[in-house]
Amino acid sequence: MTAPSALEVPQRTPVPDAAPDQVVLAVRDVRIHDHVSDREIVHGISFELTPGKVVGIVGESGSGKTLTCRATLGILPEHFTVSGGSIDIVGRDIAELSPAQWTELRGSTISAVFQDPASYLNPSIRVGAQIAEVIRVKTGATRRHARHRALELLAAVQLRNPALVYEQFTFELSGGMLQRVLIAAAIAVDPTLLIADEATTALDVTVQAEILDLLADLQERTGLALLVVSHDLAVVAQLCDEVLVMHEGQVVEQGRTAEVLHHPQHDYTRMLIAEHEQYGLERYLDSEPTEQVGLSRAG
Amino acid sequence: MVRRVFALRTGKLAVGILVFIAMLAILGPILAPHDPLGTTSGTLAGPSGAHWLGSDYLGRDVFSRLLAGSRASVVGSVEVALVALVVGVIPGLLSVYLGRVFEWVSLRLADTLIALPFLVFAVAVTALLGNGISQAMFVVGVLVSPLFFRVSRAATLSVARSQYVESALISGASVGWIVRRHAWVKVLPAIAVALAQTMGVGFIVVSSLSFLGIGVQPPAPTWGGLLASDLNYLHFQPYAPVAPAVVIMATVWGCNLLADAIRDVSGENGRALENSRKARSNRRAALPRLVESSR
Amino acid sequence: MPAESDPAVLQISELDVYYGTRRHRRQALDGVSLQVSRGETVGLIGETGSGKSTLARAVLGLVPAAAGQIRIDGEQVTSYSHQRWRTLRRRGVIQYVFQDPLRSLDPDVTIEDSLVEPLLIHGVGRSEALSRVGPLLQRVHLDTDLLARLPGELSGGQRQRIAVARALVTEPQLIILDEPVSALDSANRVEVLEILKELRTAGVALVFISHDLGSVAGVADRVAVMYQGRLVETGPTRQLITAPQHVYTRLLIGSAQTLRSAAADRAERKALRAALQDA
Repeated sequence: MTAPSALEVPQRTPVPDAAPDQVVLAVRDVRIHDHVSDREIVHGISFELTPGKVVGIVGESGSGKTLTCRATLGILPEHFTVSGGSIDIVGRDIAELSPAQWTELRGSTISAVFQDPASYLNPSIRVGAQIAEVIRVKTGATRRHARHRALELLAAVQLRNPALVYEQFTFELSGGMLQRVLIAAAIAVDPTLLIADEATTALDVTVQAEILDLLADLQERTGLALLVVSHDLAVVAQLCDEVLVMHEGQVVEQGRTAEVLHHPQHDYTRMLIAEHEQYGLERYLDSEPTEQVGLSRAG
Repeated sequence: MVRRVFALRTGKLAVGILVFIAMLAILGPILAPHDPLGTTSGTLAGPSGAHWLGSDYLGRDVFSRLLAGSRASVVGSVEVALVALVVGVIPGLLSVYLGRVFEWVSLRLADTLIALPFLVFAVAVTALLGNGISQAMFVVGVLVSPLFFRVSRAATLSVARSQYVESALISGASVGWIVRRHAWVKVLPAIAVALAQTMGVGFIVVSSLSFLGIGVQPPAPTWGGLLASDLNYLHFQPYAPVAPAVVIMATVWGCNLLADAIRDVSGENGRALENSRKARSNRRAALPRLVESSR
Repeated sequence: MPAESDPAVLQISELDVYYGTRRHRRQALDGVSLQVSRGETVGLIGETGSGKSTLARAVLGLVPAAAGQIRIDGEQVTSYSHQRWRTLRRRGVIQYVFQDPLRSLDPDVTIEDSLVEPLLIHGVGRSEALSRVGPLLQRVHLDTDLLARLPGELSGGQRQRIAVARALVTEPQLIILDEPVSALDSANRVEVLEILKELRTAGVALVFISHDLGSVAGVADRVAVMYQGRLVETGPTRQLITAPQHVYTRLLIGSAQTLRSAAADRAERKALRAALQDA
């Protein structure tokens, strides 16, 4: 999440229009080492994100997908370090960032939402005030302006009654609503890149679809670059242009979504697809043409 | 868990101190070089070869009195801890399971006991039951038992609300079964911490009471009594209170250290501790390798 | 499906359940009727707070029924006392599998002891109970070398299979599974679903609770959809998925994450959500 800091220099107007081929995030052969077990957990992952592009990482728990996200945000858990490769955010190597530069980058350029929304919000402060705080700290806006903007954001994430939600506490909101509030906070200062790490996993299917629809809307409307991480291939397939399949720290498959779904190369990817074909709704829905597989939104 | 406590430096130190004090309690009266009650004409003498810590206002050997007095203090504090354990833990465990009425009554009783100032109450009870260290300690034990009640109740509550207890219930398990098979093991570390802490409190209480002259008949030596008699002759022997004060402090410190060590190695803390130790040693091991490879 | 004369293993009729006391009383179940025949697999679908877990808890005797009836294996259990519930539970006719096996298995008890616990409670001798563990592990595709370990030393999938094995130990006629595969990743999901299919073949009735129609579609004979404490739609799986009647069921199917859906669904889902709001 955006980590507001008192040291923050108020600045930043909404992100300048980036050239379509400007790389927002470049991950090159990143390796992550765990010092507790003294093993390498991620054995090299590379991908690039440009504005408006959606990349998905699929893998089971322990495959290294969440560690990759955290490395990108500079928040690896204790005893984990990036032991190889490089991560560039809008052209800056994150290994060389000072804590102050990190603070400036987070929220305003790169932002994230995670699986358990309730634990990222303060239970004793009204949720609207928490979004307004992010805006004030990051942009130096006045109280009234921040409040106005926060209400706009709550409406933008399709909460039915923004003014009511603004005044509510976390315990008064459902999981899906909390995740919307977090997304609102994450996009408060118009970041260029949003990371959604299992952001819909803990939610009911219907709510999960709502959040995914919201992310797709936002991406279409604002040209946000999205990194979607999930254990479910279907979630990623709904949203992404490019898919990376991770298995035991290795990227076993990488390519355009339709390609991966139609011509899986690795056994693990085939297993992921077979699970849906055999046990999912797919076998009852086969009347639909299969050409629709994956979204060809990249064009 | 015992092994993990010993793996900590503080754990070793704490156990070392407590074993030493326990040995004193067992062997002290035998080791004492002089009769702790035997008076001599050399009153308030300074430390010498014959009297290592000098003599008191009746010419009794201070070192012998210190050794002989250890037993009363140690036995007293152990009694406090054990009484508190028995009186506190069992209702604490049962308050979760025996229904609303028992829960309400036991909670209110615990609140009441906390509200009573135990030192004053102990003085009053010894006046009632007769002046004896074990009566006094029994009362103190009962009065500090709410600590055990609360600790064991909290630990049991978290167990009782867990799914594995519910799944045992669905299999038809009785309350006794759940306490025996599931609750007991989880409650033990918490109780061990409380026990070590209460031993420390017990020492202070025994020392305070005997300092006030309650619970022991005058000539019999105790650490607190030693401190009290020394204080009256501070003009002549300003260093005299140091020895009894140091043994009391060391013992209480040992108890608290042990409580900390147990807390550090059990549950979530223990795992975090173990991880950072492993990571540190791995990094240290990796360092020569890096140097090697860079050459 | 079994003949009419064969009583259902579980029969719920017009069940009402309330939570809370007088002033904060809230209805959790409203006139729910559901029947599970012997050997049948029923998927119980609903979102958080729809009452699906409450229904399971009522069947297990963990929450009291305000009105209506529950019959288990022909026995009318609605007004059973604690004592009679305990006797019934010890027979092990119904077992329950929790969503999160890490929490439903005692972290300080070995796998072996966890597995035999229901038998020991039932009064079976320890050596006899232990002799039943081997074949049990085979049924959930696990090796006996796991027995000496603690739950924390197993993977999530292994733990969930242990939880299923534990439910099987009393040879139940009905197992209620609350989101048994939601916390698992694909490989383990397939493994557990495969085991459930085998159980169905072996004649054990299953009630498979989930918020996701997709996860029960592969194993359920029949699906029951709950919405706001009511059972809004019941039917054979294929029929319910291909021709859903209720708006909520349609939204549910439209929302399921599949490898097939396309961006066009978004507008449709929006319309369904609006329709559900108005209803």
